[in-house]
Amino acid sequence: MEVKVISPEDKVLVRIMGRVDTTNAARFQEELGFIINGQMKDVELDCTDLEYTSSQGLRVFLMLQKAVQGRGGKMVLTHMQTQVKEVFDITGFSNIIRIL
Amino acid sequence: MKKRYDPITGKSGAIIEDVMATPEVDAMPFELNFRIRLCVEEVVENVVRYAYDSGSGYMQVETVLDKNIWRITFEDAGVPFNPLEKDDPDITLSAEERPIGGLGIFLCKQMMDRLEYRYTDGCNILIMEKKIDTQA
Repeated sequence: MEVKVISPEDKVLVRIMGRVDTTNAARFQEELGFIINGQMKDVELDCTDLEYTSSQGLRVFLMLQKAVQGRGGKMVLTHMQTQVKEVFDITGFSNIIRIL
Repeated sequence: MKKRYDPITGKSGAIIEDVMATPEVDAMPFELNFRIRLCVEEVVENVVRYAYDSGSGYMQVETVLDKNIWRITFEDAGVPFNPLEKDDPDITLSAEERPIGGLGIFLCKQMMDRLEYRYTDGCNILIMEKKIDTQA
């Protein structure tokens, strides 16, 4: 057997709640800046309570994907609501960001 | 509703909420409501960011429900710009290749039934229409 201890520096789970839109996308980006600028290679964004995202939010998701992927890490978005998923589908983001 | 926001700076949130609060939009099913919020935000955001080079100007927003067609008309007096002429983003690119941004109007094109742009009397006019399925 194998036991792997994943340090908090490597793994991060973030829960996103409410709406990401033009009024708060800058703050959203700022709050997730620690992932964009950090070194975590295992990132999970729990979208259970993400009610809405416009293209302003998509920008930030793409920045996160680019950053995590760029350092050889993996990012996954989980429990996404149908309408939000549609925005990711239409824009092709479902093909470049892993959604479970 | 018909409302003029002057100056438009800082009014994005208010414009979106005003449209969402109209009785016809408020009564729409959740799915449609979501799409309308998104498309209104994308258009307003575009105008706020790009229409007025120096300083700020106004935006007028008018919504009507014409039988089963919901129509929203945006007007601004900013630099002439037809967002419908912009190339659609290449949605087949990889994450590394995808540019950040440029998705707003594309989302509107996909989610609305009809978009129309015209430049009249020094004003950009953008019309979006969505069919409301009353059977649903």
